[in-house]
Amino acid sequence: MRTLVRLIKTVLLADLWKGMFLTLKYTPQAAFTFQYPAERRPTAPRFRGVLRLQTEPATGAQTCIVCDQCAKVCPDDLIALGGHREPGQKIKVLDYFDFNLSRCSFCGLCAEVCPTRPIKALIMSEDYELGTYSREAQILRVDEMYDGVPIELYTR
Amino acid sequence: MGLIDHQFDDNIITTTVDGVLNWARSNSIWPMGFGLACCAIEMMAASAARYDIARFGAEVFRASPRQSDLMIVAGTVTKKMAPVLRRLYDQMPEPKWVISMGSCSNAGGPFPTYSVLQGVDKVVPVDVYVSGCPPRPEALLYGLLRLQDKIRKEGTVLRRERVIRLGETEPVLLASSGRAGDLDV
Repeated sequence: MRTLVRLIKTVLLADLWKGMFLTLKYTPQAAFTFQYPAERRPTAPRFRGVLRLQTEPATGAQTCIVCDQCAKVCPDDLIALGGHREPGQKIKVLDYFDFNLSRCSFCGLCAEVCPTRPIKALIMSEDYELGTYSREAQILRVDEMYDGVPIELYTR
Repeated sequence: MGLIDHQFDDNIITTTVDGVLNWARSNSIWPMGFGLACCAIEMMAASAARYDIARFGAEVFRASPRQSDLMIVAGTVTKKMAPVLRRLYDQMPEPKWVISMGSCSNAGGPFPTYSVLQGVDKVVPVDVYVSGCPPRPEALLYGLLRLQDKIRKEGTVLRRERVIRLGETEPVLLASSGRAGDLDV
């Protein structure tokens, strides 16, 4: 009896129809694939992208006070920054900010210790498009560090 | 390809052939599955349905270096693994490219120790460095797009080498009539 059932199933291609039905069941769904270069998925609220320097949004003035805390807290010593003091002024002016991206593990400690309020000078931004042709280009200088710096984007 | 590589001067026929070859090369990059650490998880995610690296013609992850064009070094390369990596790279047929994915293979990452190779470019020439720890699948796709852009600008049959200089985006033809190896950069 069991052999007969198996024979009928084989003749009527029961397994094939079962598989085809499964394919058909999933066919009317919308495409699950995310079309990356055309659409950019919003990142999670706590997402940590590349380190960026922030300026005052209204005036564009510098917010970094050159306190050197980010350079001290970095576990891999990737940040080097320096500044000078204009005569008669209390606040320091940022001269250079070199960030070695190649080793960075995006832990976010540098942005966490940044003491400037209400606008943080250092933030973990939402930029993750980081591809370079050389190792030298991975050391970001101060003009490549500001938030909103243009990224070379590609279309397909 | 070896017979006609870098054998011709630039004229309208050879530049057209160049364009066609580069189009074909850039749109069918078969990567070698070379996952070493956590970056490999993101590499797998990039090849799965959500991000679908097949849209760029790079979905065929080969298990053999002899069938692949691109080596995605995804993860920490230890000094024990480095000779193996170099041998696998040598076994890949020309033309071949390397994407270094993640901080560990870019520069050693958070492991400045005796056992970890401080950057995969110490053993193989790297074309694109993708930063991140690990990079998102989108970042890997961005690196792939960047590599495709580089391949489209390369010289294939031209005698003179086409080179993208540091800090520029458009390639220039080198004046010297050297072979692929000796560049004046």
